[in-house]
Amino acid sequence: MRTPLIAIAATLGAAFFQTTPALAHHSNVAFEVTKVVTITGVVKAFEWRNPHTWVILTIDDGKGAKVDWAVEGRAPGVLLRAGWTKNSLQPGEMITVDMSPAKDGSKTGLVARVTKADGTILANAGPAQQ
Amino acid sequence: MRTPSYLVSMLCLIPAALYAQAPPDFSGVYYPINPFGANALGRGAPPAAAKGKQQGPPPRPTQSAPLADGSQGRSPDAPSLTPQYMAKWEMIRKSRIAGSSDYDNTAKCLPPGMPAMMSMAYGMEVMQTKDKITFFSELNDALRRVYLDGRKPTQKILDDPTYAGYSTGHWEGDTLVVDTVALHENSFIEGFTPHSDAMTVKERIRFQSPGLLEDRITVTDPKALTKPWDTVKTYRKATSGNDELREFACPEGLADAK
Repeated sequence: MRTPLIAIAATLGAAFFQTTPALAHHSNVAFEVTKVVTITGVVKAFEWRNPHTWVILTIDDGKGAKVDWAVEGRAPGVLLRAGWTKNSLQPGEMITVDMSPAKDGSKTGLVARVTKADGTILANAGPAQQ
Repeated sequence: MRTPSYLVSMLCLIPAALYAQAPPDFSGVYYPINPFGANALGRGAPPAAAKGKQQGPPPRPTQSAPLADGSQGRSPDAPSLTPQYMAKWEMIRKSRIAGSSDYDNTAKCLPPGMPAMMSMAYGMEVMQTKDKITFFSELNDALRRVYLDGRKPTQKILDDPTYAGYSTGHWEGDTLVVDTVALHENSFIEGFTPHSDAMTVKERIRFQSPGLLEDRITVTDPKALTKPWDTVKTYRKATSGNDELREFACPEGLADAK
């Protein structure tokens, strides 16, 4: 059976519009830092780089589709002192992210903390910085 | 045999003279005392010592970062700005509340500049020799040098302002006194408080107690400030195992910046 052209077009269109949000470098002012929302999903990538790290997370949108969120984290140096490492998050693992949403409504956020499936909490700062 | 009294006097003077000539050594890695607001960083597990007292899971964070877009207005402790610079602050504030990073130098990987860089939010490394002290900030890999050999800024230096400016210092007992000039206006005093190219900074740096370094900062700016502004930064010397700063390499992430 031939696949209707319109179905192919729809699939391509969906792929185009569902690419991961751009990893632009933001100042904290891009986010509603005093608001924290929680999302749970599967790690697609963990970018360990300056000036900010990134967690790319695939979540269910509640309508049967998967969407990618790009959540900005603190710098590697800060996270190292808070107990993270470059390998703290692995693609494919399920995590919960407490994050501040972006002011512009895009699918981005600012990490407040990450909780792994086994309950381990990765915070933004460790006792040494208190 | 009786020791001549003049010899006794001289011997007594030697330790005093040695003490007076030896300034403290500030060298080392430091972290600022509570650089961010309480609970602002979504801390998870408490320090090990407090774990026994904790009941249930750690509280969910209520913030991801300190609120710093200006939406809370201006702190009464903030520098007192002249109307012209207050208008500039208001303009930047509106931009930040709207979510724009246009006026955020560090988001563009530019140096934080003096005196803002002395917040040292991500940690500071001090390298001290007899003739020079160098302060390094992990945040944006920023650096400043304080010359202690008696040199003074030349006209050529004054005509070439920079983010860190030009710093010269001398010791007054256990306190390092630093004067900074040649600062251009493309930086902030603190937060996003603007200043003019007439700004100068004076610092008095000393150990409050062993391992606790204090920087008393006075900012003077006849164009931007109605009166000099004073602030104090304190830093705790890092303990073994936590005393290495990491490379920041800010432009690493700029390739994808929009």
